[in-house]
Amino acid sequence: MQKPALSARRLLYSSFWVSPLPFWLTLFFLGPLLLLVWLSFWDVRNFVLQPDFQLDNWVKILSANYFWQAYGRTFLGASCVAAIASLLALPCSLAIGFILSTRAKLTVLGLFVVPFFTSYLVRVYSWQIYLTDNGVISNLLAAIGLETGSLLSSKFAMQVGYVTLTLPLVVVIQSISMLSFDRTLINAAYNLGCGPVRVFFSVLLPGTRAGLILGALFAFIFSFGDFVSPTYMGGGKFPTLAILITDTVKSGQQWPRAAVIAIVMIGTLLIVALTSLKLAYRRK
Amino acid sequence: MVQKFSCSRRLFIKSGAAATGALAMPNILRAQTITELTMLAWYGQAEPDAVAEFEELNRVKITPKYYVGGEQMLALLSQSPRGTYDLVHADAEYVHQLVAADFVEQLNPSDYPLDDFFHEFHKFPGHWVDDKLYAMISRFGFLGISHNLDAVSRKEASSYKLLWDTKLKDKIGHFDWHLPNLGVLSQYNGNEAPFNLSEAGWSKLKETTLELKPQVRGFYDYGGVLSSLKSGEVSVMPGIGEWITGVLRRDGANVTTTIPEEGGLQFTESFSIGKGSRKAELARKFIQYMAGPEGQFRLANLNVFPAVIPSKRGWKRMIEERPEDARHLGMFEGSGNAMDLIRAGRIKIRKLPVQQDLADWNDFWSEYKST
Amino acid sequence: MHLSQATRIILMVLCAGALAFLYAPIMTNFVFSLTADRFPTLPISGFSTQWYELAFGDDLVIRALLNTALVALIVAPLSTFLGFTAAYTDYRFNFVGKKLLMVFALLPPLVPLVVSGLAMLAYLSRVGLSGNLSAIVISQIVLASPFAMAIIRLRLSQIDGDLEFAAQNLGASNWRAFWEVIIPLTKTSVFAAFLLSFAVSFDEYAVTWFVGGLNETASVRVLSFLQSAVSPRINAIGSFTFVVSMSLILCAQFITLRRFSKEKL
Repeated sequence: MQKPALSARRLLYSSFWVSPLPFWLTLFFLGPLLLLVWLSFWDVRNFVLQPDFQLDNWVKILSANYFWQAYGRTFLGASCVAAIASLLALPCSLAIGFILSTRAKLTVLGLFVVPFFTSYLVRVYSWQIYLTDNGVISNLLAAIGLETGSLLSSKFAMQVGYVTLTLPLVVVIQSISMLSFDRTLINAAYNLGCGPVRVFFSVLLPGTRAGLILGALFAFIFSFGDFVSPTYMGGGKFPTLAILITDTVKSGQQWPRAAVIAIVMIGTLLIVALTSLKLAYRRK
Repeated sequence: MVQKFSCSRRLFIKSGAAATGALAMPNILRAQTITELTMLAWYGQAEPDAVAEFEELNRVKITPKYYVGGEQMLALLSQSPRGTYDLVHADAEYVHQLVAADFVEQLNPSDYPLDDFFHEFHKFPGHWVDDKLYAMISRFGFLGISHNLDAVSRKEASSYKLLWDTKLKDKIGHFDWHLPNLGVLSQYNGNEAPFNLSEAGWSKLKETTLELKPQVRGFYDYGGVLSSLKSGEVSVMPGIGEWITGVLRRDGANVTTTIPEEGGLQFTESFSIGKGSRKAELARKFIQYMAGPEGQFRLANLNVFPAVIPSKRGWKRMIEERPEDARHLGMFEGSGNAMDLIRAGRIKIRKLPVQQDLADWNDFWSEYKST
Repeated sequence: MHLSQATRIILMVLCAGALAFLYAPIMTNFVFSLTADRFPTLPISGFSTQWYELAFGDDLVIRALLNTALVALIVAPLSTFLGFTAAYTDYRFNFVGKKLLMVFALLPPLVPLVVSGLAMLAYLSRVGLSGNLSAIVISQIVLASPFAMAIIRLRLSQIDGDLEFAAQNLGASNWRAFWEVIIPLTKTSVFAAFLLSFAVSFDEYAVTWFVGGLNETASVRVLSFLQSAVSPRINAIGSFTFVVSMSLILCAQFITLRRFSKEKL
């Protein structure tokens, strides 16, 4: 007698948790994306989108030299950011996780979160003052006898922008996994006679793998789709896929072609993300 | 109620003080009781220096949506319901697209003081379709070579050949839009009609452009153009004009624009009434105001950037009240002024490509940026 | 951890270096918001508050700031709730297709902002929702909830899955067990998720620009300034938002610290 009631209640309980996000995302995320896929087969006549089913847009983009150049550039750039931001974040998350007092670690973590709240656009805009001709950095370098001129409109500047965007997030993600790492494991390893280096590589790194990989993944994703740094730090000189999309939309309402580029980007990111997640949550 | 609001609004404007956060709240409440006129425009067209008087006279608040580039304007229009924008501010080359896509209303020429204008603008080709008027010219300017005078003299800038000068390696910048850049390079190639190119002419233009790439520092949007020229990051930019250098000079930069021997381009701004506007009458009033002497004078001196105006009465007022600025813009009596440049055939109107698809030009631009 | 003094110092210095890197542009932003020049150049020719007066005398800026506050206050709690449901689903339930569902839930931030902007504008304008604040709220929730989910999921993965069942074996109902076991253990991460969603909403400029029509948030205003008229007004607004978020975070930390000292974590 009780059983059906119980399972009905359980069903209610589980569907309360399972359904909200899928519902929202189907309506306002999957819908737009499917429209985008459909759009990639449309035609544009006299600046007006016309429903159609033709492969011209796909052929045009996938056979364009500049598309593949931009693709390679974007992928490589994002991989560099993932590596650089992860490496830069590691000492920070170690300090937060294992050196600082409870009070200090929260303060420092808070300090890393704050930049995330200030507009990325404004911060990139401010970097220009450092990197431009006669900017802060070239003046400093000139003082020690290095003539650099402007550092803007370069790949270096672009990486600075990307790291500005991603570093806070990577530090926070890494720190969470450091903070939640079971300290008794470390003590046990020490008691078994392991040195700090050994503890770091064979206990800590594997134990916080999920956080490390997730951090790098977020850095990759964010820089892969960013158009602010390539535009304002790279001087538009190294067009990435995101820039290519805006350029394509600007070009006579070519939304269908932009949709093709978009789908390729999404596909790439999907593969990268799935691979990383598999690595992150793989059971030993 | 209305009386009260307009009174306090007048007080507010008279006091002239900057609004603090506390003042701003009632200010917004007021805005809701006043008629709202929406405008899709290039930046600066609905700032107080342009519209404050009109707003005050007609008890209206102009709400702008600023865009960057005609393609973006078309994209915004095509995604918005009819009647979203009462006014559309556009470049001449896009007016035909606006008409073709049925985004703007037809205008009645007799509503506007066209007689005040130089006769070249009585029937400005881009604004008329099938002998019907769709846009009223508001102001215009010329595009040539903009340069930092510390690095490049006016004489050196008298030919586009300068762009390939080895001393300018890594010092050439581009405004990131293919049309004006390819347009002036087409003039350098000696094309009489820079946008009407045969297959051979188009190939030649692509070749010429690609040869310039090793010299290029970067591709910038409007904000980037301003800051890179100002900071010295870039010394020379083709295809832009006083609309950039005029602003920088106000800020003390030693820059100017030269129209080289090979010629320059003309850009033209205009106002149209958005299709389906429920305030078409007020929008018409606005265009009339902007074509009149007061509006024209304001348009010539906009904070965002100064420009030449088509109104003879506007010229007169500029010469009397702002002789220095008028001279820089080429608005003076006597030979060599802006109208003479046009009449001598040195200035070509910026257009969309005639024989190629716009998408082809854009594809090439993407390729150029990528190599 | 048993680290040598030297290692500790090196790590601390590197950490301080990273903070300096992140704060350098923010500090310059403050300085240049107070300069007299229209374009930020060195040396600075003089100081003035004109850009603040200009920025906050601008109706568009004031409206944008109010919109930002309104939107973020709706987006953050809703995203946190949606993110929590998904994280908890992944942690607690097993059913066919769950993995696929989780991948789906993590997708939105994978999609470049320009693309989401285009897609959502095309879609929302077809169902008559584009061009108003609700369009901004709808699309920002899509963008923010996966972050909330990730943060909460990370915390849940450290909680022994048997705890809840143990509570149920002791006679607690589903809800009771959830309330007694999961909530206390996750509330800090829920708060972190709230802040993260708030940040995403606060910072979002691309999609908001597309779907917002005539409605602007503060970051969209900055983008418009950046594209069309470089001016220290950008620094003035930036400094203002920085002060606001700084106060927000300080409050958050105060609350968290109090709880932490009680829990002795």
